[in-house]
Amino acid sequence: MRITRGKKNRKISEEPKQVTGKLPQELENKLWARGVKESDVLVCVRTDMDLTCAFTPGWIIMTKDRLITATADPLSGEVHYFKGMETRNTRKIASDREWTFAEFDISDVKNAYVERTVSGGFLILVHKDKDDPEAEGAAETVAAVSNHCMGSATKIERLCEKLAEDKEIKDEDLEDDEEEEYCPICGTMYPDSDRKVCPKCMNKKSIFRRTIGYLKPYKWRILVMFLCYLATAALNIVWPYLNGVVLYRKVLGKDEKFLSFLSIEGNRYVTILLLIVLTMVMTKITMQLVGILQGVMTAKIVPRVVKSMRNDVFGAMGKLSINFFTSKQTGSLMTRVMSDSDEVSGFFIDGLPYFLINVFSIIAMAVVMFRLSWPLAIVALMFMPITFLVSWKMLPRLWHRYGRRHRATRSLNSKIHDNLSGARVVKAFGQESSEVKRFDKSNEKVRSADLAVMNYDNKFSALYSAAENLASLMVYIVGAYLILIQKRFDYAILITFAGYVGQMTGPMDFMSFFFRWFTNCMNSAQRMFEIIDAVPEIAEKEDAVSLDTIEGTIEMKNVTFGYEKNKPVLKNINMKVEGGHMLGIVGRSGAGKTTIVNLISRLYDPQEGSVTLDGVNLKDLSFKTLRGNVAMVSQETYMFMGTVAENIAYAKKDASRAEIIRAAVLASAHDFICRMPDGYDTMIGSSGRELSGGERQRISIARAILANPKILILDEATAAVDTETEQAIQQSINMLIKGRTTISIAHRLSTLRDADTLIVIDEGKIAEEGTHEELLAKKGVYYKLKELQTKALALKGIE
Amino acid sequence: MGFKNFEGADEEFNLEQMEAETEAMLRLRFLNSYNAKFERTPGGFVSLDIPVGEDDKPEHYDRVRVVRSFPFTAPDSYISIRTTEEKSKEIGIIKDITKDVTKETRKMLEEQMNLRYFTPVITKINDIKEEYGHAYWDVVTTEGPCKFVIYMNSSSVVSLTDVRLMITDLDGNRFEIPDFTKLSAGELKKLDLFL
Repeated sequence: MRITRGKKNRKISEEPKQVTGKLPQELENKLWARGVKESDVLVCVRTDMDLTCAFTPGWIIMTKDRLITATADPLSGEVHYFKGMETRNTRKIASDREWTFAEFDISDVKNAYVERTVSGGFLILVHKDKDDPEAEGAAETVAAVSNHCMGSATKIERLCEKLAEDKEIKDEDLEDDEEEEYCPICGTMYPDSDRKVCPKCMNKKSIFRRTIGYLKPYKWRILVMFLCYLATAALNIVWPYLNGVVLYRKVLGKDEKFLSFLSIEGNRYVTILLLIVLTMVMTKITMQLVGILQGVMTAKIVPRVVKSMRNDVFGAMGKLSINFFTSKQTGSLMTRVMSDSDEVSGFFIDGLPYFLINVFSIIAMAVVMFRLSWPLAIVALMFMPITFLVSWKMLPRLWHRYGRRHRATRSLNSKIHDNLSGARVVKAFGQESSEVKRFDKSNEKVRSADLAVMNYDNKFSALYSAAENLASLMVYIVGAYLILIQKRFDYAILITFAGYVGQMTGPMDFMSFFFRWFTNCMNSAQRMFEIIDAVPEIAEKEDAVSLDTIEGTIEMKNVTFGYEKNKPVLKNINMKVEGGHMLGIVGRSGAGKTTIVNLISRLYDPQEGSVTLDGVNLKDLSFKTLRGNVAMVSQETYMFMGTVAENIAYAKKDASRAEIIRAAVLASAHDFICRMPDGYDTMIGSSGRELSGGERQRISIARAILANPKILILDEATAAVDTETEQAIQQSINMLIKGRTTISIAHRLSTLRDADTLIVIDEGKIAEEGTHEELLAKKGVYYKLKELQTKALALKGIE
Repeated sequence: MGFKNFEGADEEFNLEQMEAETEAMLRLRFLNSYNAKFERTPGGFVSLDIPVGEDDKPEHYDRVRVVRSFPFTAPDSYISIRTTEEKSKEIGIIKDITKDVTKETRKMLEEQMNLRYFTPVITKINDIKEEYGHAYWDVVTTEGPCKFVIYMNSSSVVSLTDVRLMITDLDGNRFEIPDFTKLSAGELKKLDLFL
């Protein structure tokens, strides 16, 4: 067993607290009492169950020669925190806990593995057999974890494996990645460890400011819009005053002062009436005009802002590593991004100004009301909080119900879709009536969800308008009382008041959901900026090497790689292809063939070891050199929306027609292309003409021919076509591989006849290596495969 | 890709696997108290002896994996006894654990299964709070009070039957509500969002 004492390890031995510092003091003391030396401790990891699956905190402590588990005795009523709820505080363990220890001798361990259960796993140690050190002996369960602490178990598993195989233990194996999982501000564990964002501590201020940045180019238009809002608000305040105080008191009440102010003689009421009606009509018209202007401004700004946001997001997406697209969580992130930009700009252009205007309106109306009559103003405003409360409380629930209906409808739609696309099967098995029943079940769910929406909507509207009406009613009652009994003021003021009360409910209603809108918008903006700011895992180095001409020699040295950190797909791969040679890769599905190809085209970087092209590590190579010289023809052919010619010229946009035709001829695609009515101008892709698998395959080969790469990767390029087509394609491929380094993955061994070297991959390792003849002579895996295939072909012949 | 189905490429290569599978299917054998002997091991596992196995040879397995074929709908039937390596193979199947094996064997196999299918059952919902695309649950389970977080998407809360719910948290930990109609009105209201 070798343990390298790297920089970090040295630090550990000098300041042992770094490893064991996370352990509770009590436990630490007990460990030292058991004869554990601080300097011997390699790692301490947390567990959350005892061996009977009862939730309780615990630790696994690994030293160079011992594995010690410490489990606190379970306490009834202790709360167990899982991801997203756990904080640094909830992790703390009381000092008076009783601990149960178990100890295992590592030198006696053959290997360790994690037995996964439905929501967790057991760490199992397999001992060496006493008589035969190579054989597996008895096994025992060492620790149990829920998925929450699965990382701990896999870490120990990995370390044990390394120790058992007598491999070097590197710094990164011991690295403590747990701390990164917690928000540095509030100490809560991030709900999503790939997205290091704490929902509670999200910096809303800076997001807000950054979003405003998108609106800057339109500041004049936004000013106009703002003025429109302001005008609307002002007119809203004027309107009740006009049809109340002015109409009733000044005009109908024949206010002398007012009339002389307008310099109209006291008896010409009709003229004044007409004038006032005209003013009122004009006010309404102006309000409409302002509304239209504001609508036009919104329509002009929003799409542009949305467009620039989307462009930014899409541009950033292009830069991201392939990993980002394949990981599931971010996958859903992607689809939301497009609607996120809508949400964000909608809020900033519709929501925010409207909010400001509403605040202004409410204050202004309140002031005017108090000026007119304070007792009535109090009555009118008294009911505002009630209506506000009603919508504040009830609207979210209404939305929940809408959400439920939406989900039910969606599930119904997918059921219909499922059924239509599976129509053949349904008919073949005569299951029409049972499908109707299944449909009815989903349909019933939609019905009940719909009913729930309506029920609640009615309840909400009833309550809301009741509160609203009650407010107006109270205003009328109190107003009438004040007019009739106290004679404090006249009918005109009452009309004005009623108008204000009616107008105030709108802004109140808006306020009740504004804050929710705000948080939603900030969350959307956050997600958007996250993608824009995401640093690609696979990035070009600043001083990347560019090669003008390349040989095409590819070498893999000690490459270990896994899509997930703890699950290596490739283990210690060593191989070399000389420039211009052909390498064939054979192996079962899932053995890691495609993964090798992914590493060569640098869609991923290996976790250990290196991949080199002409002796230059791919990590140091410029993207231009790499991508310009590597082309791939894979089983999944992808046709972009566009014409056949555009698809062939995908990697070389400036290709001439002659070049395109030449490539198509070489790919034996020219004939079928010319048979199509629109020839090379035929639209294909998602909305265009359907091509058969063989046709698509040939177009993608033509694409590779035109790209003229130095290194060609064929990933089961002929797997999806029939034997006859394969023959034709094989010929084109033979044309294509001349003078290029070719790496070919194939199920059909006959395809690899011409390969200079063949490697057989099995469970992430190179099982066999050599030429066709050498491998046959070996009578190993390759020979077996070959035999099986010849038999299978013979069988096919009988058919 | 639809083409794969019509074409022979894959089948040719997987012939070996197919043959093995076919053989395994033919081998499907039922275990019971007469032809199989289960025993506890000191390490906390179960070992299996089949005195008369394939080709009349005795078979011995140091430890076996005990897996339910229908964990939700028939937890006592069709218990698959498998080898423990990563690509585990079936050794045999117990058709009905309540009838085909002795009480003692049943108990030791159930112990193994209880560990494998360990799922806290939610008995009380204190609070469910929805925020920023996540839902924060505060519940009491048969395994003590638990606080966990789920994503707000359809796969986090799955109805196994009309009344039975399975809840999966951020890490993939499972929780179960065997019959949500038995919850109080207040708890149902909190759960409403997921029904």
